[in-house]
Amino acid sequence: MAYQLYRNTTLGNSLQESLDELIQTQQITPQLALQVLLQFDKAINTALANRVRNRVNFRGSLNTYRFCDNVWTFVLNDVEFREVTDLVKVDKVKIVACDGKNSGSNAAE
Amino acid sequence: MLNNTGPVAKLYLSIIDDVIESMKELFLDEGLEDRILDDLRHLWESKMMQSKAMEDFRKNNINSSNFVLQLPANYSQSDQEITASAVIPTSQKTHSFPMKNNSETVATFSLPAGLAYPVQIPAGVTLQTASGQLYKVNVPMVVTHTPAGQQPLSQTTPKVTEWTEAPAAQPAAAQTNTVPTQEVEPSALSSTSVSQPLQPDTALSTNQETSPPQQPPVPTVEPPHPQGAHSLEQEVTLEENHPSLQPVNLSIPPSPCTQSLDFQISAKTKDIDDILKEVIEEEREKAKRARSLAPGSADSQSETVLGLDLDYNYSELSDIVQLDGPPDGSDIEDEDGVPLEENDFLGIINAEAIKALQEGDGSSDGNSISSSSDSDGIEDKLANAEEEDPLNSGDDVIEQDIPDLFDTDNVIVCQYDKIHRSKNRWKFHLKDGVMCYGGRDYVFSKAVGEAEW
Repeated sequence: MAYQLYRNTTLGNSLQESLDELIQTQQITPQLALQVLLQFDKAINTALANRVRNRVNFRGSLNTYRFCDNVWTFVLNDVEFREVTDLVKVDKVKIVACDGKNSGSNAAE
Repeated sequence: MLNNTGPVAKLYLSIIDDVIESMKELFLDEGLEDRILDDLRHLWESKMMQSKAMEDFRKNNINSSNFVLQLPANYSQSDQEITASAVIPTSQKTHSFPMKNNSETVATFSLPAGLAYPVQIPAGVTLQTASGQLYKVNVPMVVTHTPAGQQPLSQTTPKVTEWTEAPAAQPAAAQTNTVPTQEVEPSALSSTSVSQPLQPDTALSTNQETSPPQQPPVPTVEPPHPQGAHSLEQEVTLEENHPSLQPVNLSIPPSPCTQSLDFQISAKTKDIDDILKEVIEEEREKAKRARSLAPGSADSQSETVLGLDLDYNYSELSDIVQLDGPPDGSDIEDEDGVPLEENDFLGIINAEAIKALQEGDGSSDGNSISSSSDSDGIEDKLANAEEEDPLNSGDDVIEQDIPDLFDTDNVIVCQYDKIHRSKNRWKFHLKDGVMCYGGRDYVFSKAVGEAEW
């Protein structure tokens, strides 16, 4: 079972909104929508594991940290994200991280 | 349909493709038409387009940008001007760039990466398209970078991208303001606009740079523009930062000798801390007055002593600030109307409260209430309560931050390989993440970070 973590991304949220619209107009059933989301979970986990190959460094100050149910949640302030080419500065960012070890259906890189 | 071809966009499109493909069978099994699956796909893609999450943030640095030169309809393509390449001076540098030709009346030119906007193109320059078509431009041109419609490629911010969206909206305003009649703005697809006569660029660039003070008028220029919304948000937050004009009710936290009373003051110019200090000073003054008035009455009974003191204090305390709860307008009137009853009642309550406190504090005398030190004890309690307030008042701040703290739009969703901490230094090893920042999305396969707590 792939992580449902990525449903709260722009991609995931727009998919859920679209599915909601179709459910509203009764073009699909909620059960089918759930199937779509499960398929989305698999697809995005696979894509991120296999099709993305860039590395980012960041540095900032930690405001809060939380570890519950094997999920880390951090809030950082004044963070700089550095990729090879670019620099992005953020005043506040929340990081939600699930356990990346033996996460089940994630393909090995 | 899809003009953004950054890596993030490609990834997302591939994910969308995967999902739709794998759902085809399921949809068929359910007996649904293909049309519905197409609808889903269109809805999904259009939402993604609107959210501009698929823009590669490298596009901020004007990596490759197109501008469209609208040619007159009767432009003949038979003109032959032989020039090997076009040389355009830009800040003392020369760039030669290939061109692409899209149609007969609209020529698309792509400028090379790293071009600093605005670009001045002098008169008489011949531009050559990739297909070999040559166009001679007989008027000087200035190419600036503005947002347009669904393609806000326009970030004129340099490589360090800070969250001020206003600069993008600025050029639009600046353009319309400073180049009113002489612009050539192709309608549909342009992401930059070309003004034919040579205009001084300094006005435009300074407008772009001094964005913060000019934010408020910008959203009105292009209301449907997404970045306008950001400017509006910034406006709103600016307003919220102003001190609140609502009346604030303050009161001293419960202490044995004081009652919670109402006191409404305007917080327009004062902090709550300042108000607290004022209140505490008032209390102290009243306490001193009460002390000086109350005789060292060892003989009188506890209640009456207290009653006397409390009577005096209560009336003195009528203008003490209430720090909790809503204002209760009728208190003062009742107090005046039925002073004796209330004061007696309060005297009894306070006696008991003082007893409890004094026992809790481990006072030396079990019957200290009736002793001469009693009144001092009460005053000490008052003083202690006053001193504790400034100490404890700082504790509440953190409580309020927590619900707001986790409420942010900049979220990274990822998996962790290793989280390490050494004293207050944290090290993060993350992988397979999607970051949403300022509406844009970024992805990474590995992220390594450090932070101090």
